Amino acid sequence: MTTVGPPPAGERQLTGQPYRVVGQSPAHHDFVDKVKGALLYAADWRLPGMLHGRIVRSQLPSARITGIDVSAARALPGVVAVLTAADVPSNSIVEMASGGLAELEVSMPVLATDRVRYLGEPVALVAAVTQQIAAEAAELVSVDYEELPGVFDAESARADGAPRVHEVGNTLVSWQIRCGDAAAALAAADVVVEGEYRSQHVEHAYLEPEAGVGWMENGVLTLRVSTQVIEHAVTIARILQVPQSKVRVIAAYMGGGFGGKEDMTVEPYLALLVWHTRRPVRMIWDRQESLTGSTKRHPFIMRYRTGATSDGTLTAQQVEILGDAGAYPNLSPRVLFAAAACACGPYRVPNASITSSAMFTNNVPSSAFRGFGAMQIVLGYESQMDELAARLRISRTELRERNFLAKGDLLPSGERVGTCVEVGPTMHRALALLGEPPPPSGPGKVTGRGIGCNRHPYGRAIWFRDKAAAWLSLQADGTLLIRCGVTDLGAGQAASLCQIAAEVLGAPLDDISIYIGDSALNPPAGGTFATRQLYMSGNAVLQAARELRDRMAPVAADLLGVPPGELEFAAGRVRPAGAGDAPAGAGGAPDGGDGGGVSVTLAELAAACEQRSISTAHLSTWRGEAGSFDPRTGQGDTFPDYTYGTHAADVEVDTETGQVRVLRYAACHDVGRAINPMRVEGQIQGGAMQGLGYALTEDMGIDDGYVQAGLFANYLIPNAQDFPDVLVGIIESGEGKGPLGARGIGEPPIGNVAATIASAIQDAIGVRPAQLPMTPERVLALIDMRAT
Amino acid sequence: MVAPAFEYVAAGSYDEAVRLLADGGDEAKILAGGQSLMPMLNLRLAHPELLIDINAADDRQPSVEGGMLVLPALTRHRVLLEHDLVRRHCPLLAAAVWHVGNVRVRNRGTVGGSLAHADPTSEIGSCALATGAQVIARGPGGERTVPASELFVSYWTTALAESEIITDVLIPAGRPRQGWSFQEMVRRTSDFAIVAVAALVELDERADTIAAARVALAGVADRVVLAGPELLTGLTGSVLTGGDDAADAVAARIAGSLDPADDVHASGDYRRRLVRVLTARALREAYARATGAVA
Amino acid sequence: MTRRRLVLSVNGGDHEVWVLPSDTLLDVLHDELGLADVRYGCGEGVCGTCTVLLDGEPVNGCLILAVQAAGQKITTLRGLMGPGETLHPLQECFLRRGASQCGFCTPGMVLTALDLVRRRGRPSRDEIRYALVGNLCRCTGYTKILDAVEEYAGQAAEAAPAEVRS
Repeated sequence: MTTVGPPPAGERQLTGQPYRVVGQSPAHHDFVDKVKGALLYAADWRLPGMLHGRIVRSQLPSARITGIDVSAARALPGVVAVLTAADVPSNSIVEMASGGLAELEVSMPVLATDRVRYLGEPVALVAAVTQQIAAEAAELVSVDYEELPGVFDAESARADGAPRVHEVGNTLVSWQIRCGDAAAALAAADVVVEGEYRSQHVEHAYLEPEAGVGWMENGVLTLRVSTQVIEHAVTIARILQVPQSKVRVIAAYMGGGFGGKEDMTVEPYLALLVWHTRRPVRMIWDRQESLTGSTKRHPFIMRYRTGATSDGTLTAQQVEILGDAGAYPNLSPRVLFAAAACACGPYRVPNASITSSAMFTNNVPSSAFRGFGAMQIVLGYESQMDELAARLRISRTELRERNFLAKGDLLPSGERVGTCVEVGPTMHRALALLGEPPPPSGPGKVTGRGIGCNRHPYGRAIWFRDKAAAWLSLQADGTLLIRCGVTDLGAGQAASLCQIAAEVLGAPLDDISIYIGDSALNPPAGGTFATRQLYMSGNAVLQAARELRDRMAPVAADLLGVPPGELEFAAGRVRPAGAGDAPAGAGGAPDGGDGGGVSVTLAELAAACEQRSISTAHLSTWRGEAGSFDPRTGQGDTFPDYTYGTHAADVEVDTETGQVRVLRYAACHDVGRAINPMRVEGQIQGGAMQGLGYALTEDMGIDDGYVQAGLFANYLIPNAQDFPDVLVGIIESGEGKGPLGARGIGEPPIGNVAATIASAIQDAIGVRPAQLPMTPERVLALIDMRAT
Repeated sequence: MVAPAFEYVAAGSYDEAVRLLADGGDEAKILAGGQSLMPMLNLRLAHPELLIDINAADDRQPSVEGGMLVLPALTRHRVLLEHDLVRRHCPLLAAAVWHVGNVRVRNRGTVGGSLAHADPTSEIGSCALATGAQVIARGPGGERTVPASELFVSYWTTALAESEIITDVLIPAGRPRQGWSFQEMVRRTSDFAIVAVAALVELDERADTIAAARVALAGVADRVVLAGPELLTGLTGSVLTGGDDAADAVAARIAGSLDPADDVHASGDYRRRLVRVLTARALREAYARATGAVA
Repeated sequence: MTRRRLVLSVNGGDHEVWVLPSDTLLDVLHDELGLADVRYGCGEGVCGTCTVLLDGEPVNGCLILAVQAAGQKITTLRGLMGPGETLHPLQECFLRRGASQCGFCTPGMVLTALDLVRRRGRPSRDEIRYALVGNLCRCTGYTKILDAVEEYAGQAAEAAPAEVRS
């Protein structure tokens, strides 16, 4: 196992200050291109002879296909290809999302054959010379259906005699995590609270719809798409039944992903159309197609029972989680695992019994979405803490402080918390940011304040034995190249790696170019998901940079006449440690003299290495922690580490309409170390805003398999008007497992929000909302309930 | 996103547009601001063969004639929001348009197009009803005047004949001792109304009791709705001071007369509840404006 | 349907294009003229990623036909930059304030905000919020975008107080 933790003291000592580049907020080249409008996203490439692809999707949520007639579509002038299941070399995607630890093996067809299991399931493909002809042809594909009974929520899917979505049954996975004796501890508890909490289908709603262009080049099928995961090249090769070396996936900078581009989107369909037509093909999903047909956040049903002593010390928790997986497995097993692993939140629970199941339904598949199971569950454990505080008449903050985890404590899975838990400081900081509670704005209005704490993993589940690689090359002119298979969601994934390399090797940021997101040309880094890229690729780049520096240091030491351990790499030069920032003498040539004030440029160092046959290019693979989990005992290793944080909010409720206005919002997380503080802030603000949509406005409204919010006009992501600025507190404990002590921050800040708002509404009206989103209508019903 | 194929012609005048529309029959559609028609085309929900663009048919500005605010049908929402004559003579409309769409939609969308589209959640439609507006429609047989109260038939359906085009919207100019209020509930600013209420209250000469009131609602039926006089009884002659006044009774009566449908944003029951709350608020605010207590 | 010849005036230059009557301005700017800063996001006029200025006013590129735009001045984000791609001061503010993450909404945000500042001088933060309701962003939570626009409006007001007053 690779040792991680606080950075070696060397870096601080050598530079004479903590960090030069890390901790600053420089604008990277991709952001410059973005404000220029010059960045080319996946839909922005056009190739000679390019066709336009379109998917024909099922019109029913559960049906048998009795016939498909493509003759009219084929006959339309300008149509080049119409494909159905028979045209797919291997029409089966088997996603063993937890590495086969516990889930059913169920395959998903690329194109439906004789059965559709959700509304919007791909049935046929069309390629034509214009988008308009492709759209017309898609409408001309005639599919005959025989409607079948369906099942549309996780609870019904579990019932005896429920229609089977797949022959093998409706339970995709059921995880257990157990410690102590929860039943006995609940029976013995001074006080027990319980509750049921429900969440809804939510759409990622990245502004950039799913898109890409594919073509053949040197016999290799090449796709340039908006994706978080270039490693899907392997699956595409399997579908086409070609060697893996014959498929290349290039990830364009994404216009947002949030987990929705973690599964394949356009890839297999583009691949099939390119493969059959041998022409370049572009495919862009309509927004409405994306709303209906793309993966969603799992609706959860969460049932909690929590026991405590009369002084508020938690003694036991029973948790049952049911997730609606939709029609196919996708990443549901992992999502429900994360929910189970985080079900008790940032609290010590000595006796726990957690069950977390994913059920097949005839809804659109649920899969990855920022927060990944660990976010839905926050509403469960935080609601229980607020209920317990109310029952015991202990303040909400005090009750939490009595139960916060600390480093070295055991989690319900039996593993120890490996890094410090600064959740208490985040709670006090978030509340301080809010200031004094504001009074109601008028009659019929009541105000309330809420808090929500969370524990969110970063990095994949430990049993995946995760790894990431990076290649660095100091060029002859002293500039630096980085190659790393990371994909960039827009959060600055590539930019952060440049900052880390700049810190270690001293190359100015402007002299660094990074090549990312290409399955053929980059060392593999794994996808950008699970808040893993700073942790994984950040450590890979850090390791590669340190190794490259250590290889070149003796050469520099030789040139400068000082020991290799006493060098400083900064501002494009290498000099003896403590020599200050003064540039070298005329020409910068090493004079081999007596030290002080003398330095070599990185170009001179590269030349000297070349003379000595020492390579200035270096590939390094960083491996995360390894471990195992036993699904039968519910004990073992879960995630490498966690990020902790607290949000706090003031709300005002209109008691006549149920309208909730968020007056102030604050979010604070311990990020270990902020590599780029402005982007950390941006992640927290953006995550919180997505969380506010989840808490209050967003709902796909899937009713018997039919999407009600199928337009962007009625799927309500927050706009600039409706919510206040998000005030941010950043705590840097320096104790994460990411590079230089960083913790991941991509997903964590979306987790706290719904619980925070529910807490504030409860404070305002005296009743706890338990169903998301907390619409005015639902809040008004709670007010009515209190009145009667 | 790709619209079905169609032909396009720009009409230089309303007469030309009417002629083209009559020739085109079912397959022709008028394109004004395009902010409702174009999404339907992009979503392939409409399949016209010909679009008749009337944007160049008229370049008049709002004016006041004979006690009427005259809005040429092509008046953009932005003009409704900002134009001095609109703000002065129909502040209700200017306030309501604040809720319509976004900057881009308001830069293109037109008052005539909005009324002809007849969306049941229309802010502008509810204002037309509350103010007692009329539209002038031009057809092959010439012009006629249609009161707003007779214009809206059902979901996206008006009383206009197939080859008629709205050319003007006439709104009785605001009078002294008149107060207005526009109340809207949305799930997200700029979205379609869950419920909206437009109210006008006119005081008698002593300027304290109500002489006349009009209440129109959006988001509650298959069209925008004007509350009938039987629902408003008790308002005339009354004073709205808050508390247990006539506003609550009228609001409850109006709510009771409606049977709104459920949709993804709200149930019919909740909408009816909102009608009660927002109507009472609207009446009281309009009253307060009429008395000069509120700007 | 037959294509017709149009001359579109985009970012100060005239471009001859052959379009179908049903082609939207978005289609032609993005696919024919290669202006990748005008983007498809929803086709409903809701999201704002296809925002362009038509004779200085923000419009939905997806809800206007290309044939309707002939004879008017079309400005996209790229048209705001000076020679050698020097950034407009509002773009500088976006960069400095970290107002772009994925960047997909950025062109529409900048154009809409610029229109607001040109018309209103120094808008309040609430006025900025209202002007931007039709430009959705899923990454930033808006705070840094509002910061950027506010900073620019302040600069612009100080640079040209007389113009702002008028």
